[in-house]
Parts: sequence; C-alpha cells; structure tokens
Amino acid sequence: MKRAATGDKIFQFTVTVILCIIAIIAIIPLLSVLAVSFSSKDAVNMNAVTLWPVGFTLDSWKCIFARPDMWRSTAITVASTLIGMVMALGITSLMAYPLSKKEFKLRHAIMVMVIITMIFKAPTVPYFLTLRSIGLYNNPWVLILPHILSAYNLVVMRTFFQQFPKEVEESAMIDGCGPFRVLMRIVLPSSKAVIATIGLFYAVVIWNQYQHPLYFIQDTTLYPLQMKIRQFINEGSELQTLAMKLDVNYTDRSLKAAIVVFAILPIIAVYPFLQKYFAKGAMLGSVKG
Amino acid sequence: MRALKQKKAQSLPDSQMSLGRNFRKYWPYYLMVLPGVIYMIIFKFIPMLGSVIAFQDYSVYQGIGGSPFVGMKYFKSLFTYPDFQRIFTNTLILGAYKILFVFPIPVALALMINEVRRTKLKKTIQTAVYIPYFLSWIIVAELVFDFLGMNGIFNQIRQALGMEPLLIMQQSKYFRLVYVVSSIWKEAGWGTVVYIAAISGIDQSLYEAAEIDGASRWQRMTRVTLPLLIPTVVTLLLLNIGSFMELGFEHVFSLLTPMTYSTGDIFDTYVYRVGILQAQYSLTTAVGLFQSFIGLVLVVVFNKISKKVSEDGGLW
Repeated sequence: MKRAATGDKIFQFTVTVILCIIAIIAIIPLLSVLAVSFSSKDAVNMNAVTLWPVGFTLDSWKCIFARPDMWRSTAITVASTLIGMVMALGITSLMAYPLSKKEFKLRHAIMVMVIITMIFKAPTVPYFLTLRSIGLYNNPWVLILPHILSAYNLVVMRTFFQQFPKEVEESAMIDGCGPFRVLMRIVLPSSKAVIATIGLFYAVVIWNQYQHPLYFIQDTTLYPLQMKIRQFINEGSELQTLAMKLDVNYTDRSLKAAIVVFAILPIIAVYPFLQKYFAKGAMLGSVKG
Repeated sequence: MRALKQKKAQSLPDSQMSLGRNFRKYWPYYLMVLPGVIYMIIFKFIPMLGSVIAFQDYSVYQGIGGSPFVGMKYFKSLFTYPDFQRIFTNTLILGAYKILFVFPIPVALALMINEVRRTKLKKTIQTAVYIPYFLSWIIVAELVFDFLGMNGIFNQIRQALGMEPLLIMQQSKYFRLVYVVSSIWKEAGWGTVVYIAAISGIDQSLYEAAEIDGASRWQRMTRVTLPLLIPTVVTLLLLNIGSFMELGFEHVFSLLTPMTYSTGDIFDTYVYRVGILQAQYSLTTAVGLFQSFIGLVLVVVFNKISKKVSEDGGLW
C-alpha cells in the first residue's frame, strides 16, 4: 500500500512538472516579445534580451503610440469588433429562439438550410465576387457583416434555448408577453453564460481576422489592426527606415514586438473576466440539437 | 360563428396546423428568423449559386448572364495541371499530419491536467495553455518567424552549441513541421476544453471503487478515465477527418513564403493567389468546387460513421 502511494506521488509530480513546462512554453514567446518591446536598441541588436527587458526604455512604445495610422487601425478594429459582436448576438439569438420552439413550423426547413451551409462551403471566388457586387469592396462593413452569423454558434444557442424551462416562458406568455418580450426580458437575461461565450467567440473572430480585409480592403487607410501588423512585418523596410535614425533607442525588431504586444493586450485584458463563462459555455458545445 | 371557428383552430395541435395558420398565430417567430434567413441567402446561398462560373468562361464585364458556357472544360484541364497536383498533394499531406500529430495532443493534455489535484495550480496551467488560442495567426506567424529567424532564439541556441545557423522558414522541407508545431502551440490547449468537460462528467464512484481495488493513479487514468473518454475522442476524430480539407487559410498563408510553395501551397492559398489576385475566376472556382465537393463527401460520410459509433456523435 505504501509503495503504491509513493508511486502515485512520483506520478503526480511528473505530470505536474510536465504541465508546468508546457504552460511555460505556451506563454514564453509572449513574455519574450514583451521584454524586447521594452528593451534598448543595443540590447536588442546584441540579442541580449531573453525574458526580462535589458536597458529598459519606452522608446519603441512611444514611437508606436505616436503613429496616427496605428490609432486609426486600432479604432477600426475596436469599432468593428464591438458593432459586430452586438449585431452577431442580436441576429443569432433572434434566429436561435424560434428554432428552439416546437410550435414554429419552419423550424425543420430552416435547420436544413443551416446544416447545408455547415457542410457545403461556397468556393472562395464566387463568394468574393458576390460580396464585391453588393458593394463590400473597400468598405469597412466587410469586417463585420461576413461574421455576424455562424452556423455553429447558432446551433449552440438553439440547444441552450431548448433546455430553458418551458413553464417560466409560458407563465410570462399568460401575463401577456409576446415572444419578443419573453426573449428580451426573460430568456436572454438568464442566459448570460452562453451570451458571454458566444459573444467572445464572435469578438475574437472579428478582432483576429485578416482573410476578409486581405481580400477586400486595398485602401490602407481602412486597414484593421491585423492588416497593419502584416503591413509592418511584410514591408519591414518602413520599420527599418524608422529604426535607421541614429538618435533613436529602438530597432525594427523592438518596434515589431511593441506592435505585437499592442494587438494582443486587449484580448489578454478581457480574458480573465470571461474565462469563468467560457469554460461553462464551451461545455454547451454539444453541437447536436 | 367566427369565434367558434377560431376556437376550433386553436384546439388543433400545432403540428397539424397549416403554414398560413401557423404564421398567423406565431408571426413573431417568423419575423425573428427573417434577418438570419436573408443573411444566409446573401452570404451563403448566392455564392453557392455563383459557382456556376466554373462552367463558364466568366468575365466580369459580361457577368454570369452573359458569359459563355464551356461545360467541363476547366474541370477536365484541372487534373493535368502540375499546380493542381501539387496543391492537392500538399492539402492531403497537411490534413493527414494534422490528424496524426495535432489531434492526439489535447487528449493527452486533458488527461494530465485532470491529474493535477491542486485547484489553483490547475487553473493557472489551464489559463496559460488557453491563451495562444486567442491570438491571431498573423501574430503567431510573426512569433514563429522571429523565433526561427537569423537573430531568433533558435539560431542563438544553435550558435551557442557551435552549429551553423539554419533558416527554417525559407526551406520547403521544414514547412509541414512548422505548420504542425504552430498548430499544436496555438490550439492544443484550447482543444482540451471539450475533453475536460467530458472527464468532469465521469461518475466519481468509479474512481473510488478503483481506489479500493488498489489501483494506482496511473492505472486509474489509463483504465478508468481513458476508456470513458474514448467515445468523445472518436466523435471528435471523425468530425476532424470530416473537415480534413479545412487547414485554415490564415494559418497556412501567414507562414508561407515563395520558397516554401512546393510543400506548403494548398487549395486556399492557391485560390487566393491565382483567383483573387490574378483574376482567373473560372479556373479557381473549379478548383474551389472540387475542394468543396470532397469536403462535402467527407463530412457526410464521417458524420454518418460518427452517429453509428456513438449516440451523441455527429454534427447533426
């Protein structure tokens, strides 16, 4: 018995050590860019920075913050994420609610439609041509509209609504509430976990997207943050010219690092508040209805 | 009389009601789904119908109505293109690698996380491994390029060990490795969520019984947790094989350089380059239709298998 217990201890210790190493691997690249973004030119050029800033300086950050185009891209990304999230939650919950109701006769027909969109993807080129023909080329709405209804999120929300206690809704109906009021006043307020989870999923998609802007946005003044990052990284020359000046205390690498951290920061900032919801919400992900 | 008729209509069970009557009684439901349905028609179904240009010599100026039909011309020539063979092979190989090397990692990770008993440590580990999932591929790619670059940590270590620097991102033979490793780094942590949820649903008395029988922690993990997790694993595996062709445009595209096209160019990246940038619309729509068709067959077949294997399985 005692030997088994020792074995268990060794086992548990090994597992914990392995997991800690994995956790470190998961966040070390982020700590490394964070350190580089606060380090001096000489330290970065000599590859002296590992996980802690060397020759601490805010110059890279000042340079990034001083650029109006960074702020413009940030504003575009923030605005499209917020507007998109609200629109997505609206359209998704409005559609999911009737689909969870047995009384709604078109339920099956619409679910078949939804499943078709899940299993058959329209080829990229006709998709591109359709969106261009309705005026979404070089239009900031292309950052929002393609993402406001995902079949997967719709099905998750419908499954959730199906589990909602019927008696509560019925008593509200008897009190004279129509379906809209039941949804707004009763069902949605008690669905915070699923709303938070799905809202987060939509927001992450819109925040992180660059396929749509890459396809549809040529006008650099309309670039969202991810495209701006891509522009800086691909056309490294702009950053190199910036860093070429003699009197500055940054390099193209520390500038890149600052941009990367800048783009990650908002996600990391809201993450702890949402974490408790999405672990719960992801469990709803029994996609089947 | 009218009141009587109405009463009769109301007493009819909803399932037997005609559509018109159902609409009159439940019109708010119809109103609620309207935006979503219009949305799906514009963003999903019209592009599907637009695929007809694969059978035309499509030109933007003549439009779908005016462009001449050429039948299977583009499909016939598809299979003789060396480009097509390359992107098809690359897509298949990357898809297979993803199933073989990426898919099992979250299972192992979830089993290990489940063995950590100290709640605080467990939460910290979970938080850390979830984070990469929330970064964009552009950022992940930048981290990868930085890590493997001339001044990156990887080459610093090589030089410290007295080895020549190696530029991995510029060599086609390493592309698939980079794809797999970056995929694991970004997504394996988040992939554990489903498994941890499944594990938390396991009946605790099974562990107690195993403990009384003298099973060690290792034995409890391999003989209790793992077997009970297998149905979830199989379901997800089948769904993953079903979405085999979806390698993620953003993922591959952000790691790809012209030097690595020979191993890393896939359907999605090719369609972007040749279709969107070079405007060869009909040819790339044919490529896309071929891809969607294979995807459709895979999803339907593996969904069916998945439903057979487990009751909760399947996408629908």
